[in-house]
Amino acid sequence: MKRTVPLMITMVGGLVLIIQYFIPHQVSVSVFNYYTSWAPIVSGFALILGVGSITRLHYHKIRIRDRNWPYSLATLIPMYLMPVFALLLPPSIWGGNQAPGLFDFMYTRIQVPIQSTMFSMLAFYIASAAFRAFRAKSALATLLLIAAVIVMLGQVPIGDLAGRWLPNLGQWILRYPNLAAKRAIELGVGFGVLATCLKIIFGVERGWLGGAGE
Amino acid sequence: MSAMNFWMKMLNIDRRWIFLAIAVVVIVPFFARMGLPLIPNREVRSIYDCIDSLGPRNALMIGWDFDPSTDAENQPMGIALLRHAFARHVPVFMTAYLPLGQGLANMALEQVSDTTVAGNFVIVPWDAWEPFRAQGAEGRDSLEAAWIAAGHRLPEGSRGWVFEGVDLAFLGYQPLFYLVILGMGNSIASQFPSDANGNPVAEMPIIQAHKNLRQVDLAVTLAGSSACVTWIVYGTAKVGLRVAFGVTAVMATDYYPYIQSGQIIGMMGGLRGAADYEVLETQGGYTSSTGRAYRGMDVQSLAHLAIILMVVLGNIAYFASGMRKKTALKAGR
Repeated sequence: MKRTVPLMITMVGGLVLIIQYFIPHQVSVSVFNYYTSWAPIVSGFALILGVGSITRLHYHKIRIRDRNWPYSLATLIPMYLMPVFALLLPPSIWGGNQAPGLFDFMYTRIQVPIQSTMFSMLAFYIASAAFRAFRAKSALATLLLIAAVIVMLGQVPIGDLAGRWLPNLGQWILRYPNLAAKRAIELGVGFGVLATCLKIIFGVERGWLGGAGE
Repeated sequence: MSAMNFWMKMLNIDRRWIFLAIAVVVIVPFFARMGLPLIPNREVRSIYDCIDSLGPRNALMIGWDFDPSTDAENQPMGIALLRHAFARHVPVFMTAYLPLGQGLANMALEQVSDTTVAGNFVIVPWDAWEPFRAQGAEGRDSLEAAWIAAGHRLPEGSRGWVFEGVDLAFLGYQPLFYLVILGMGNSIASQFPSDANGNPVAEMPIIQAHKNLRQVDLAVTLAGSSACVTWIVYGTAKVGLRVAFGVTAVMATDYYPYIQSGQIIGMMGGLRGAADYEVLETQGGYTSSTGRAYRGMDVQSLAHLAIILMVVLGNIAYFASGMRKKTALKAGR
């Protein structure tokens, strides 16, 4: 039962949605509209599960004073405080509807700079990695290195100082050799995704059940 | 110290020196501007030309499909697109694939409507022009005339009015956005009963003129992930929506096949793409000067040069220190 019911739901749901996609009929549109109404509700329950699961995990770590347990506090406190700021402390408390509230402050002054900073730090690590690992060890590695240098210089205005040939060459690499390689990879990935989807719909691939019913 | 020892030491240099070098290279251009000329790529020009051919009867959809981590690259694209569309009175739908994207879209709107800076726009909220709506002034020209006749004046240096519900619908975020794109193929209002500010979307003139994605002339998705492909899979394939990408530089290489196949009309790749768009806007007379992305190109120029220099130095050190021979012997070559 634990295995058959989810498999049946997946198979019926998958086939119905594939079929309706190709039939522009009122019945087909109604089926799709039902689905689009239901799906956010189902995902809402998934959110409850997710919040519950993360709370249980981190609460356990805090309770037993596990290694790095203060990080668990840093996860849980903002997770519960942000909805409080958004729902229970609206902007009007802080001086009228036009004034930014605490939620807005937390978002624009803390979350946005933190995430931007984290991503920006990549530049430092890329520079360090380029110095240590980007070696012309073989003919192919040398080709890669030369292509990287041309594309990097071609992407910035300073490359134009060497002449238009450099950005043009960089663009040529992106538009032709890069495109050909990417298309081959994309096609391979596409067929792989298609095969995996069909295997899931027809119950051949059952890893997503997480071992239920075994 | 022999030359070989020097290069060996160089090879084992403390990486904090590299971090310091990059920090210097990133900070200096903010104080010493280079302002090197930029020739826009054709992938960006095609997006610009497309929007430049639109007017008040068309519609543009811009998706803030990124989170703050790629704000530096994606946000200038969104701001440039908004400026261009508002200047040409092209109605704009603003959506967000991610919850955090809605906040970033709001920040972009705030920046474009900051009237303390010259060249910006004044956004008239939906509620503010309710009396004129009751009088039946819903066409853009008649609404603007009535608004000005009521004694409203543009602040000095401002570029024009943007009427919420006519020139702009800030739809915001909805969960499971791929379904939302599919649903918008039939009806935009069914997917967004109210906008991000709680206004009724179905009553807006912009929606009455553009009911679904078939009536939207271009969708530009600004993304830091593969979320942008969703617009092709569920928008282009299903209802023939014209799509353009604004993606981060590392992602740009992945999407050239979509340009060649005609699935997207163009692409802004990273900060360079945003800077190209700013240059085109300035050349077209929509802005008096370029913005944040163009300023960032000085930083990026020097940072790229510094990284290339490090690659070269790293390779010289690798060969000159004899490391190549050692690793070759180890590998049995």
